Amino acid sequence: MRLLLIEDEQRLAENIVAALRETGFAVDHAADGITGSEFAEQDVYDAIVLDLMLPGKNGQRVLRDLRLAKVHTPVLILTAQEGKESVIELLNAGADDYLAKPFDLGELLARVKALIRRARGASTPVLTASDVALNTVQQTVVRGGRAIELSPTEYRILEYLMHRPRAVVSKQELLEHLYDFDWEHHSNVIEAHVSNLRRKLNTAGAEPLIETLRHRGYRLREGSAAA
Amino acid sequence: MTRSRSITRSLVVTVLLLELLSAVCLIGAITIHERRLQWNSFDATLLGNAQSLMAAVQESAVQSGDESDDVMLDTRGMRLGHGAIFRVQEEHGRILGELGQVPALSDTAFDDTAFQSAVIDGRHMRFVTLHGTRVIDPGMPGGGVRHQITVIYGMPTGRIWHEVVEAVRFVSIATLLLLGVTATVMVWMLRRKLSPIYELATEAGRISSNDWRFAAPESARETRELEPLVSALEAAMMRLERSFHQQRRFTSDAAHELKTDLAIVKSSLQLLSMRPRTAQEYERGLAQSLDDFTRLETTVQKMLTLSRLEQEPVRGDADARASCSLRAALEDAADQSGAFAEVRSVRLDVRGDGDAVVPVDRHDALLLCSNILSNAIGHSPAGATVRAVIEREGASVRLTVRDHGDGVANEDLPYLFEPFYRGDPSRSRKSGGTGLGLAICRAICQRAGGSIEIANHTESGALVTVVLPATALVTHTASSASLNA
Repeated sequence: MRLLLIEDEQRLAENIVAALRETGFAVDHAADGITGSEFAEQDVYDAIVLDLMLPGKNGQRVLRDLRLAKVHTPVLILTAQEGKESVIELLNAGADDYLAKPFDLGELLARVKALIRRARGASTPVLTASDVALNTVQQTVVRGGRAIELSPTEYRILEYLMHRPRAVVSKQELLEHLYDFDWEHHSNVIEAHVSNLRRKLNTAGAEPLIETLRHRGYRLREGSAAA
Repeated sequence: MTRSRSITRSLVVTVLLLELLSAVCLIGAITIHERRLQWNSFDATLLGNAQSLMAAVQESAVQSGDESDDVMLDTRGMRLGHGAIFRVQEEHGRILGELGQVPALSDTAFDDTAFQSAVIDGRHMRFVTLHGTRVIDPGMPGGGVRHQITVIYGMPTGRIWHEVVEAVRFVSIATLLLLGVTATVMVWMLRRKLSPIYELATEAGRISSNDWRFAAPESARETRELEPLVSALEAAMMRLERSFHQQRRFTSDAAHELKTDLAIVKSSLQLLSMRPRTAQEYERGLAQSLDDFTRLETTVQKMLTLSRLEQEPVRGDADARASCSLRAALEDAADQSGAFAEVRSVRLDVRGDGDAVVPVDRHDALLLCSNILSNAIGHSPAGATVRAVIEREGASVRLTVRDHGDGVANEDLPYLFEPFYRGDPSRSRKSGGTGLGLAICRAICQRAGGSIEIANHTESGALVTVVLPATALVTHTASSASLNA
């Protein structure tokens, strides 16, 4: 999952980015509204964390422009402003959630995960496909009652695919959603990780969960994201 | 408990008291006048009745031949008055007619008509003594017989007082009626005329911190006596609203600032406790948290400084206790900012051709100078010079600090001294400080009765001008040397 944080307060941004990365997200950071808008409108993010008081272009305008550009990425607003009116306005303008500063880092992480989940149509933190169950809170994967140990990247690939059952996901899309700008990435990396993931998931007698479509990408064979 | 004073009540009471007083005077005057009038009329009646009696002395019907017997008093058909007493005598002392008991009265001269008072059986009486000559049988030869007749006639005076009391009673009743009418009309009039005040009060009472709209009602606006009140209220509301909004904005900005700093501290610690870390990571995290905390502390400190500066009363006159040399403060500030200037490769050029003691606390003066200097250094390109000059200008001293940066955008100029205002929007907190520095500078200058301004220099960069009142001249060897030169 790849997130965008638009926050001008450098120290706060550092902390949020560190926390999100430790949770397994790929995170890009924009320190002003103009850069933030540019990043967000690329439409490669699974969620956006947006501060309201921004230099260059304030949060409300970033949000409005994003929705005008038909980008429907879930947006979580960070605000230090008082007053219910602004919250109502923001939600009406297309924000999906908000957190008042000073917030709890754990709450921020939980809300971001919930936003991504809901945007993919799942209401619980446990995603299932076929006999595979993926718990997004504990970050554990179980197949047929057997726990499967995955590396962080493998987990993130599986989580991304399980959020899009039956959809074809290209290597490029995986790259975009799993890595932030800080990474020098290459599609070979994805191939290696998917191959490892497939090996770990395979059990005797069970059909392979991840299907490879030549030149197009990957697809979860069957099952649904809903629990 | 103090009783509230009512204009209506005091006006009505005053008018009624005045009316009452004039009524009392009037009644007094009427009493005196009426009494005199009644006395005169009484005396006239007395005299008239006495003369009637005198006229009633006639020739006796019985001719006894005795000369003294040929007169008699014929009171038939005469109205003698209620309670009247009289006695008619002829010159020989013979009583011709008598009613009641005439008291002994002092003798009076024959040709004198005298009025006298006496008390008979507890009744006040007034008597008239009338002497007259009656000629009996004037047709007889020799002109008839002359008789010297004395009439003493008296009536009770109670009637006079009765008349006077009647007159006074009439006037009193009329006065009371007038008082009642006056009070009613006055209360009604005052109520009516004072209604614009109540309307004004209702309008003013509607004002709250959420709704500052104040439109004086037409009735109040059109009342000449209320005009000063209306305009004072309007002006006061406008000032209050402005200052209220300023305060509210400051509070909201301050809350925003504090919450952001708190969010940093909190997230730093939470990040550290997300999972077990190595001792080195903890060490780094704690150092970072301490830094974040220091920043929060700085913000709070600056807010408190600003609040202290704004709360202390303005000292118009020089206070010897809180004063210092501006030049010394500037030099200290230059020392403090030296390291920052070195990092940014900026040269500091501090000059003072004249110096003065300014009515600013030493600590505040240092704060003022170092805020201005570090602002200038922060906005200067590498290799540039920041020049600070102190000049005497009559009774004041002027400090100008000029940098060679990009200057200030014109649209920002009016707001530079507003708390938390950060001019260039592309510059975030990390380089802009708390946004309180210039607000603090302004507060320091204003408290000392001086001013601070920022303008763009005609060539390049910003020019900060501080003008402070000088309380005394400090003779520096350097400055006196340059003055002598």
